Amino acid sequence: MNIVEKILLNHSTEPVKTISPGDIATVGVDRAIIVDMAALHPEFVDNPPLRPFDPDKVSLVFDHYVPAPSIEIANRVNRLRKLVSRWGIRDFFDTGRGGISHVLGGELGWFKPGSLIANTDSHTIATGAFNTLGRGLGTPELMNIIATGKTWFMVGETLKAELSGSIRNGSSAKDVFFHIASVTGDIPGKNIEFAGTGIKTLGMDERSAISTMCAELSAEFAVFPVDDILRNYMDSAGVGDYRAIAPDRDAEYFDEIHIDMESVEPMVAMPDRIINNVKPVSELGRVNVDVAVVGSCANGRLSDIRDVAEVLRGKKINRNVRLTVTPASRKVYMEAERLGYLSTIIEANGLVTNPTCGACLGGHMGVVGDGDTVISSTTRNFKGRMGSSRASIYIASARTVAISALYGYIKGDLNE
Amino acid sequence: MNNITGKAWVFGDDINTDLIYPQICYTLPEAEKPFHAMEANRPGWATLVEAGDIIIGGKNFGTGSSRPAADNLKKLGISCIIAESVNGLFLRNAVNTGIMAIEASGVHDAVDEGDTITVDLENCKITDMVNKRSVAFMGLPPFLMEIIENGGIINVLRAKGLLGKPL
Ligand code: SF4
Repeated sequence: MNIVEKILLNHSTEPVKTISPGDIATVGVDRAIIVDMAALHPEFVDNPPLRPFDPDKVSLVFDHYVPAPSIEIANRVNRLRKLVSRWGIRDFFDTGRGGISHVLGGELGWFKPGSLIANTDSHTIATGAFNTLGRGLGTPELMNIIATGKTWFMVGETLKAELSGSIRNGSSAKDVFFHIASVTGDIPGKNIEFAGTGIKTLGMDERSAISTMCAELSAEFAVFPVDDILRNYMDSAGVGDYRAIAPDRDAEYFDEIHIDMESVEPMVAMPDRIINNVKPVSELGRVNVDVAVVGSCANGRLSDIRDVAEVLRGKKINRNVRLTVTPASRKVYMEAERLGYLSTIIEANGLVTNPTCGACLGGHMGVVGDGDTVISSTTRNFKGRMGSSRASIYIASARTVAISALYGYIKGDLNE
Repeated sequence: MNNITGKAWVFGDDINTDLIYPQICYTLPEAEKPFHAMEANRPGWATLVEAGDIIIGGKNFGTGSSRPAADNLKKLGISCIIAESVNGLFLRNAVNTGIMAIEASGVHDAVDEGDTITVDLENCKITDMVNKRSVAFMGLPPFLMEIIENGGIINVLRAKGLLGKPL
């Protein structure tokens, strides 16, 4: 069995000996995460589960609308806060305390290698960087999981993605992902397992950027193996009790792709979708931008803020560009502040916001208007995603966003 | 469950959740939400839908987020979604909100917009009653059909006494 099948088998609530594609796996989850968006689902706040299957395995994280941008949302999240005492939840992260759930969960050691996570948010696949299966599920389904601790998966086939080399100078993990997307297209219902010698050149931020973005392939799970980098990370998070999962020697995959990371140049996703819609920045031609955004669970991490600060150090961004930088978590925010990245960005005329999903979901903290051309390090560029459906959203790495903010048009490499 | 009959609306590939349930829906009154479905790709469509109508989609229908997109279509009066392929998360959300989402290879070309469609659940066959073309589909497993027949997972949880009082 491959990693996905083995982790599902380890969580099966039925007495099965093996799991393979086509099976329906009934599983128990290790943790259920509810984000503030649940407050906007009347079915949840009007009839929340009576009690959770285990209050220590349920997390409540405020991330999308932090701080609440309207009276309406403030009132709704106030209702959600009542869950904390009603259910006796320990892991509650209110405004100012936590960050985007997919980033925070990694920082706090919630994503233990070999574990299984359910979350109401669709980028839960991010947990794959930690050798953890995570699935974004609808709110009604999360209600079922909170009440029973269980759910089901239709087991899909798995693609093996063999990574070699290391990311070339000026490119980043986001570009590697875009390259992967251009090879695979979308793979609904299927999984990706990463393998190969290139993995050891990727830190947890880079792995997380790649696994997070696999949501855009409509993949079920995207999972990395365990190695010393992950083990050391878990040690530093103070987590030792886990059961890391490696694929069996005879693990089955429906296909195998080879990605030479060395060959990947800075890429960009053109407006409205990522699938079949990416190209190297060098082939783009001149596209002037009005708005530049760095943030999100994929690329609002410390290494992304560092890339932005490196590009902007001692410079001013183009006078026609509005740059917003949103750290993904309190920890990223504090580290970036300590290392001087935030003041570098502020001095360059960038706007630094508090940690939140913010502009990524078009709800607040940088909503874009009609006719705006946007270059963003966020995850998704569906029409209307970041505000007006008449805005054009290009997606790229944090570094490319920063360089574009500096020049006023989309540009991938400082030295071109 | 009885057979489903309704008028077809034909959409293309990769219809995503943000088209079906735009961001602004989150804070609108419940009754208004459905009327914003597809406004970015097909303005005005939602006001033309009549109760019982059926959506025919292309590949990967419902790709995107966990937002209640299937529920929005159900509340608009759509009785069933049939597509070349249905996104896995959308399928779960459809089942959990109590609306049929069916994968039927070939359906996109077989059905003409505006025609009356019949979904024969027992024989797993979809027929365009006007051009008489039919396509077969794979039924959903019984435990999912049971959730749909109960009108969604929330009704199931309520019946089991697993839901509490409002927050
Ligand atoms: S940053 Fe964007 S993609 Fe990530 S959880 Fe928030 S809204 Fe979703």
